[in-house]
Amino acid sequence: MLRRSLRIGAPLLHSLEPVQRAPRLSPSNIDRAIQKFSSQNARCISTSAYRRKAEAGNSTTGSRGAVDPDELSHFNALASTWWDAQGPSRLLHLMNPMRINFAKHCLQMHPTSATADAGGGESPFSKGLRVLDVGCGGGIFSESIARLPETSHVVGLDPSEQILAVARAHAKKDPTLTGKLQYINSTIDDYPSDHQVDLLTLFEVVEHVPYPAAFLQSCMRHVRPGGWIVLSTIARTWSSWFTTKLVAEDLLRIVPRGTHDWHKYINENEMRAFFEKQPGWGAQGMLSMGCLYVPGFGWKAVKGSEHIGNYFFGVRRDMQ
Amino acid sequence: MWHENIDHANVINRTKTTMRQTLLRLPTRNSVWAFRASRPAQIASTRRSFASEASPSPEVYDVVVVGGGPVGLTLAASLGAARTTSHLKVALIEGMDLAPIRNWSPKPDYFANRIVSLIPSTVRLLKEIGAWKHIQQNRVQSYDGMQVWDGMTGARVEFDWNKLWGGKDEQTDTTIAHMVENIHLSHGLLKAIGDLAVQPTMIDKTKVERIQYGEMTGQLDMRDWPVVTLSTGQQLAARLLIGADGGNSPVRTFAGIESRGWDYDRHSMVATFKIEDDSAFPKFAYQRFLPSGPVAILPLPGNFANLAWSTTPEKVTHLKSLAPEDFVAMVNAAFRLSYTDIDYLHNLKSGVVEETKWRESVTQHPDPPQIPVRITEVLDGTRASFPLKMRHADKYIAERIALVGDAAHTIHPMAGQGLNSGIGDVYSLVKSLAEGIRHGQDVGSSFTLEPFQSERYLPNNALLGFVDKLHTLYGFESGPLVPLRSLGVEIINRDWFGLKRFLMSQAAKS
Ligand SMILES: Cc1cc2nc3c(=O)[nH]c(=O)nc-3n(C[C@H](O)[C@H](O)[C@H](O)COP(=O)(O)OP(=O)(O)OC[C@H]3O[C@@H](n4cnc5c(N)ncnc54)[C@H](O)[C@@H]3O)c2cc1C
Repeated sequence: MLRRSLRIGAPLLHSLEPVQRAPRLSPSNIDRAIQKFSSQNARCISTSAYRRKAEAGNSTTGSRGAVDPDELSHFNALASTWWDAQGPSRLLHLMNPMRINFAKHCLQMHPTSATADAGGGESPFSKGLRVLDVGCGGGIFSESIARLPETSHVVGLDPSEQILAVARAHAKKDPTLTGKLQYINSTIDDYPSDHQVDLLTLFEVVEHVPYPAAFLQSCMRHVRPGGWIVLSTIARTWSSWFTTKLVAEDLLRIVPRGTHDWHKYINENEMRAFFEKQPGWGAQGMLSMGCLYVPGFGWKAVKGSEHIGNYFFGVRRDMQ
Repeated sequence: MWHENIDHANVINRTKTTMRQTLLRLPTRNSVWAFRASRPAQIASTRRSFASEASPSPEVYDVVVVGGGPVGLTLAASLGAARTTSHLKVALIEGMDLAPIRNWSPKPDYFANRIVSLIPSTVRLLKEIGAWKHIQQNRVQSYDGMQVWDGMTGARVEFDWNKLWGGKDEQTDTTIAHMVENIHLSHGLLKAIGDLAVQPTMIDKTKVERIQYGEMTGQLDMRDWPVVTLSTGQQLAARLLIGADGGNSPVRTFAGIESRGWDYDRHSMVATFKIEDDSAFPKFAYQRFLPSGPVAILPLPGNFANLAWSTTPEKVTHLKSLAPEDFVAMVNAAFRLSYTDIDYLHNLKSGVVEETKWRESVTQHPDPPQIPVRITEVLDGTRASFPLKMRHADKYIAERIALVGDAAHTIHPMAGQGLNSGIGDVYSLVKSLAEGIRHGQDVGSSFTLEPFQSERYLPNNALLGFVDKLHTLYGFESGPLVPLRSLGVEIINRDWFGLKRFLMSQAAKS
């Protein structure tokens, strides 16, 4: 434990660079463990672990086809609970309105998008908002953004075919989504589309990616000038170490050790520094918002908490 | 925090694309029986199939409201009036004929017997949804004073804004409640619905005959969408099915939601009266607690008043059988004589007028405005009664289901809160739906509905419990609780601890 706490103080300049990985648990174990999660604190952090699963294929082999039978049966089990209001994904569902709020806030921020309809011509959304949700999982965010009337098309991307089966099955319950929402089984690297989108989202994804810089750059190619990347992740701090590593993994043992690779958590200022270095990004909009899960009250935006735990981050690709 | 400043509605409404569906035709599972959540195996084996009767293609709606009572109508009007929900495709189904309500044209010298008291927050909502402007103000009586006393001990609570605060100013709305005829309110609500830009589909004179779940087809999975079948055979699939269908709610039964409570073995008798000239006095509501239940006189415009007398079914039958003048004498006596006298009078089949005359002359009782002025005449055909009960549903929501109004809770009418709390439900539900829509949630999902339930359940439960306890407390003729309850009334009346002021300001605020 002492060793761990010492690490926290160490400068982590390279957090967006490849991280030396500890041996990985099999993703199915991770998710099974998450299903058993009970502590509120631990849960709020663990929402990201589904994403981690989704990105695992991306990071390790990059191949989407390879699925072991263990994983398959695991996801069949998970399928029934992904959309269960009282199930293990409840916290993700409760967080979703905040994702929508934050994404809307980003999209509204820039004058060109707000006044677009009146101005005509260069309107970024005149044809409706196009969204790419990377690591979409069971489709919680993809569905909701697709339901907004200003959205014209949403693609949900996930390397796990099994989880996409859940997403596709659920989307069938709502006729409004037909033709508006599409799920594609792919990693971002292999995603063939050359259509750039207005909004690319990465919710609870980057903290599970071994090469975040390369991964983000891969995503950036799919955003049109004037469009946004909106993500949420978790800062690498005392409290996130405390809730995810110490409490959840070491003390309560409700999550197998190694579920969260705390060193891969990216702090808000590191994220900011990364995008400041990217030419053509962030000059016209870069913002963040911290949020906390308060048991009994739900997710709340709390100023300053972006440096403590979960935070949202939005960055705009400059209009040329 | 930044997100509080965002005008979500603006984003959402910028484009005219809506959640409204093109008319989709879907098949439904056919082996289901009326008002039961379908468990296919069980159903198929035990109930006859309706497959041959039903059209196989329900029309898809975002919201289907069952029940066109005051709460259902308020809901339809609110959904159409609120910006974020106005694009929803809504249908309302009512078993009765709405035409007499739509075409209602009142006689100036007549008031109906079903009257509700609307608290200020209810009226605020009615204003917001454009219904209050259709209410003829000369047929509404507001009051800002209340006289409530105990028939056994005489202990009394006076609620009078003018006395308490030395008169009202322009800013403070001191109204406790507004008395409006039920039919007048529903008439105003129907007009407000008629004014809406996007009209809901209003289906009246048509009963919901059964509710079942939809089916899986190639492109769509409607297995968790309730599909209602009407007495005409027409079918509607509901993204969200709302039960505003009263105390025996078929929607609640379908959802398998238990409703618990008890019957009071009391009926509430209503009637409309002409009264002596009361222009010298402020308009008050009067309620006297008698051991068999409270008797109330509620003010109406001019020289009219309305009765709400909760008592045993036998006594109600007796009161209904009396000659009009004896009935009038009986009601006057209920506010003036001792309980023993009133009890005795209940045994007289005739001659109540003479009997009360001499008894009142020898009984000391307060004078108006502490008690109501004398009633002079009961309007023909206005004597009616309703059984009283207390019910509370275990929950108000399920996936794609919500309950509002009496479908969710039935309360003793002594506090005049039944409809008011139903309209409170509507306000909260519409707010939750709007929030859900802004965040791209399905309006039928329990995540959308949860805030409504958590906002309404506990306050309604507290209200039900409080009114129920009042009923019990005042149901004793003697015993240890009688001095206690008069002490309670005294404490409130003397405004010890500022209790009365608090209660009154709460009443006006809520
Ligand atoms: C004597 C008395 C006095 C009262 N005084 C007051 C008062 O002063 N203030 C107050 O706030 N409340 C008062 N209440 C309570 C108030 O009347 C009720 O709370 C209110 O009427 C409830 O409205 P609702 O629309 O929920 O239900 P309801 O008025 O019962 O309406 C339900 C509707 O659903 C329809 N329906 C049911 N089943 C079907 C079906 N299968 N198909 C189609 N349609 C269907 C019915 O026809 C009905 O029109 C009083 C009640 C009583 C008995």
